[in-house]
Amino acid sequence: MEEVELFKNGKRYDGRTVEELRHVKIKAHVLNDADGSAYLEWGNNKIIVGVYGPKECIPRHLASPYGAVVKCIYNMSPFSSLGEHGRSGPSRRSRELSMVIGQVFENVIEREKFPKAAIEIFVDVLQGDGGTRCAAVTAASVALADAGIPMKDMVSAVAVGKVKDTVVIDLDYVEDSQGQADCAIAFANRNKEVLLLQMEGEMSKEDMQKAFELASIAQERLHQLQVEALKEVYMHINEGDAFVDI
Amino acid sequence: MEDEIIMPGTQIADKPLRLSYGHVENEKTYSTVLGLKREDKLIPLKGIYEPRFGDYIIGVVSEVKFSGYDIEMKTPYPAFVPDRMLREKLDHGEVIFAKVMNVNEIGELDLGQVKVLKKGRIIEVPAVKIPRVIGRDNSMITLIRESTDCSIFVGKNGFVWISEKGNSALAISAIRKIVREAHTSGLTDKMQEYLKNSN
Amino acid sequence: MEILDQLKRDTIQSLVSAGKRADDRDNFSYRDISVKKNILEYSEGSALVRVGKSQVLCAIKIGIGEPFPDRLDEGILTTSAELMPLASYLFDPGPPSDEAIELARIVDRGVRAAEIIDVKKLYISENKVFVVYIDVYVMDHDGNLIDAAGLAAMAALQCTRMPKIENGQIVKGEYEGKLDLLKDVTTHTFAKVGNTLLIDPCLDEEKGMDARVTLGITDKNTICAIQKWGSGSFSQDELFQVIDIAFKKRKELKELIDNA
Repeated sequence: MEEVELFKNGKRYDGRTVEELRHVKIKAHVLNDADGSAYLEWGNNKIIVGVYGPKECIPRHLASPYGAVVKCIYNMSPFSSLGEHGRSGPSRRSRELSMVIGQVFENVIEREKFPKAAIEIFVDVLQGDGGTRCAAVTAASVALADAGIPMKDMVSAVAVGKVKDTVVIDLDYVEDSQGQADCAIAFANRNKEVLLLQMEGEMSKEDMQKAFELASIAQERLHQLQVEALKEVYMHINEGDAFVDI
Repeated sequence: MEDEIIMPGTQIADKPLRLSYGHVENEKTYSTVLGLKREDKLIPLKGIYEPRFGDYIIGVVSEVKFSGYDIEMKTPYPAFVPDRMLREKLDHGEVIFAKVMNVNEIGELDLGQVKVLKKGRIIEVPAVKIPRVIGRDNSMITLIRESTDCSIFVGKNGFVWISEKGNSALAISAIRKIVREAHTSGLTDKMQEYLKNSN
Repeated sequence: MEILDQLKRDTIQSLVSAGKRADDRDNFSYRDISVKKNILEYSEGSALVRVGKSQVLCAIKIGIGEPFPDRLDEGILTTSAELMPLASYLFDPGPPSDEAIELARIVDRGVRAAEIIDVKKLYISENKVFVVYIDVYVMDHDGNLIDAAGLAAMAALQCTRMPKIENGQIVKGEYEGKLDLLKDVTTHTFAKVGNTLLIDPCLDEEKGMDARVTLGITDKNTICAIQKWGSGSFSQDELFQVIDIAFKKRKELKELIDNA
């Protein structure tokens, strides 16, 4: 891949400042059959999430008498990247992400209310440009609220990282692949507990502190966008069919 | 005063309250669903039905078993009607109106006081909107019944049964309208107008 | 849930026998259809189609591959369909279901049999040809996925750009001209419920149908693909009736994709 100058004169290669998020658009309730859904555009990421449940847990031996099982399936479409046509079906990467995203919502969903049931979260990345797991968490939280699944809190997530010795927020694919470090963080909105944390690359403790500072500010903004998306659907009288507004 | 929108995680009281859609943490109560705050009350806009003793529900016989019947009522697991609660036999696919007699700690339900509903159809309504479909002291549902001459049964699980007899198409569209506008005020007046103009 | 489907089936069958449809349409009217092209930046072509509450996306990717040994001078066309589990409680994650495979094959047959794409033009150099991937992604299922997928594929092909080639390799993100299309095709699906024929069945009507037939119609007013489904049957009169209707409906749908 062609090398680009990732950071120059206080600006990143795409013109953003260190603490600037890419453009984020969230729309709640975009599907008609799913119990809850959301569509999210984040830079060139385009992600759709559908939620079903609580429903019967199949296979039954996975059910728990103590609460609902949260099943997440994160899926990259074969046409999601600028590069070659991919394969469909789960990869090792998508299985890992499914697990860590699922665990985020195991934390906030009031699972104990629905013993032996399952709650399913389907994440489909229609187009990916870095930061899809964070986008997925942010969209899934809206879809779960749309489904009415009881949650102790809303969750949003953002990546922070390091390019050209500078800590920056929300790395896109180019920054992620050519930069020095990338760290995905999901926060519970109310108490700011960390629910997802995956980092690779190299950062100092001071870098990490700066990263959390930037991420906390971005989290407030993302939560605001989630609130607006949900308000949009429910404050206005909602007539007509739901649709994905790509 | 304008209603305030409530998100999952929004604090709704600085003391512990026992609410269907509330979560208590450190002696404070937070909402677990999307809702509206109107005069210190939480009106849920979204939510999942949680069966309680005494609820009246509508379900469909999904399996005939040795000692009773499995009833599909859109909960994660079917409910059960023991034979001893029935005077007559039920058939697969029959629609019933019944009372929740028991809910155990893992969510299993027993039903009783069964009434079989014949010649009608079921429509699905989000369970949180059911109180508006019924109205205060049954006012809304009585209004629809009287305006359409339909026999209507409302299950707390989100199923509404409407008889074939009467203007069932109007009854269905009236209920759909209530669902869409459930969170607005002055709904009874609006519906009175709607039913009068459509008749 | 199965028992509720049974109940819906009964309701639909009694409605249809009383001369009504689930959503008050005429027997030979489509639901509202919307088509949006160029919705994805990273695909060579894309479109999102809504038919009533059904939502289907089609993305076209173009890559480079080796030709088939018996057709060394022709490019390759490959179609797949995914019934994404978020689209319906009826769809499960995992390998493609029979229904998904049938959907992909019907779309593929429409495109291939009508010879919409001139595969000879997809030749690059010895042992190097373009591969056109047509991916159908079902996002919301309220019946008649076939016509929605057919429209989405046609609309996406219409706006497909050709990747730029340098030294026999694709230059990522750069394009040169558009994919040449020789024709176009629309598909029209009819359900038979009892003795009644209905175009564009919604999901509840599909649950109540005994048989279904899909016709692919080209711009030369020829039939390029047919698929019958279900254990029910059609009389020959009925088949010629739906052929006539499909010829009439073709214009409506073609305008929708051309003007999108």
